[in-house]
Amino acid sequence: MLRRWSYIFDEALRTVSRHKGLTSISVIIMSLSLLMLAVFLLATDNLLKLVGEAQSEMKLYVYLADGTGQSATEQLHAQILGQHEVESVTFVSREEALADFRQQLGDDAEMLSALRTNPLPNSFWVRPKPEFKTRDSMVVLAERIQAMRGVEEVRYGKEFLDKFASIVRGIYAVDIVVGFIVILSAVFIIANAVRLTVISRRKTIEILKLVGATNPFIVAPFIIEGAFQGGVAAVLSLLLLRLITEISRNAIPDLSFFSVEKSLVYMATCVAIGSIGSFMALRRYLQMR
Amino acid sequence: MSEAPREDRSVIGVYHLVKTYREQNALDDVNFSVANGEFVFLVGPSGAGKSTLLRMIYMDEYPTSGQVVVGSFVSTRMKRKDIPFLRRRVGIVFQDYKLLDDRNVFDNVAVGMRIVGASPFAIKHRVTSLLNEVGLYHKRFENPEVLSGGERQRVAIARALVNHPVILLADEPTGNLDPDSAEDILRLLFKINSGGTAVLMATHDHSFVQNFGQRIIHLRDGKIFEDRTTGLVGNLSDRLEAVRLDRERHRRVERELKRQRAHTLAPTRTHE
Repeated sequence: MLRRWSYIFDEALRTVSRHKGLTSISVIIMSLSLLMLAVFLLATDNLLKLVGEAQSEMKLYVYLADGTGQSATEQLHAQILGQHEVESVTFVSREEALADFRQQLGDDAEMLSALRTNPLPNSFWVRPKPEFKTRDSMVVLAERIQAMRGVEEVRYGKEFLDKFASIVRGIYAVDIVVGFIVILSAVFIIANAVRLTVISRRKTIEILKLVGATNPFIVAPFIIEGAFQGGVAAVLSLLLLRLITEISRNAIPDLSFFSVEKSLVYMATCVAIGSIGSFMALRRYLQMR
Repeated sequence: MSEAPREDRSVIGVYHLVKTYREQNALDDVNFSVANGEFVFLVGPSGAGKSTLLRMIYMDEYPTSGQVVVGSFVSTRMKRKDIPFLRRRVGIVFQDYKLLDDRNVFDNVAVGMRIVGASPFAIKHRVTSLLNEVGLYHKRFENPEVLSGGERQRVAIARALVNHPVILLADEPTGNLDPDSAEDILRLLFKINSGGTAVLMATHDHSFVQNFGQRIIHLRDGKIFEDRTTGLVGNLSDRLEAVRLDRERHRRVERELKRQRAHTLAPTRTHE
């Protein structure tokens, strides 16, 4: 068993070292097409992060009617917190609201000095659970809270949410179409690069068949070679992408790179594409007897 | 075709073999068998079906009808996954050697053992002994690309023998070689045969093989035209000498014919 594996690795190594030029060209072609894929994936990754951040900011502002007493307020607090969508409820008194507003205005706070009474009502900031931070459940929750006694108004930026949802939908649609094209062309280019390697070795395949090698024995070195090429190309494309990211940070400071986990998944996928590409390219030669 | 007649001690049996390409018979009702340890020449002009017949034997192709039996392998009952195991029992040698340029002579011979998972010790032992037998042990670290045609063919023969095949198939093994190297290869094949391995050698060169006292199957237009055992004339060296003499006579006759043709085409000039 061990001997067979050592033979298989021997063969894979022999091809790589014997066909250095072809292997390098093949790896470079693969890296560049993978880079295209990686740029796309990173853009999507950042986009999703952005959408996620925007969504986490979603909350409802519940303004209380004037004259709602302390106990009624506490009751309302409990009632809102009792809704299954709600994660937390924060009470913001009218004084706090004004102080907060003053702070936000900064230098322009002088305009508030003309106020004789505080026009801001008491309010609750309601933060829904993450899974309910969608437009539709926000609408349902807002309607339910609106109907409660002592609630004057519920605001949650419905117009913004509507726009946001349709923008996100549009971005996703474009992303999926572009992604489909990019992935398809990357796989196609890689499969062809690997095919070149296989074609350069068709004489070897023929001879191995003549001396009685079984198909797994013929295939295994190519799979390893394809995996190797895919892995090296993945690392190269990630390094290039890293470079591009660093340069782009001048223009987009918030641009983030793949997490370690995502990088690993990406590399594993490239290794798989390389070995599957090898196998596909080999198939027609294996049909021979 | 239900059950092939099994003859004892035969390593190859070919029964009513027909192979058709585009409605043309490349082989037409061919019957013969090769006994264990026998040496057989398969002769015939190019296109007579020699290579096709050999391909049927190592089952690169299956017959249109009829049956080929090699050891315990029967063409009508072969599955694709059985083919590698047949190939390990049959050594194959080609006119163009089919050596691997990405490894040295030793590794070229060893590859047949590596793929069956033989131990490094067994490989070293067997390959060393074979390379000694074909006289190329001193070139074991050379790449086949730097060897002469005759040397390459000897490497190919060593590779074909590495797993102790029951028969060695040789398709025009001397086709690319000069007369001296061809003679060496033939001697080597006789030597291997004397060690007990059956040999089936295809060649178009009828005059080359006539005088060795071996069985000759003469193929013409896909049919066996003649299957006979030639008489022995003297010892092996005498016979090879006879081949050389024969060649020399052929050459002289051809030269004379050419001269005469030139003579008749340009008679005026010779009269001057």
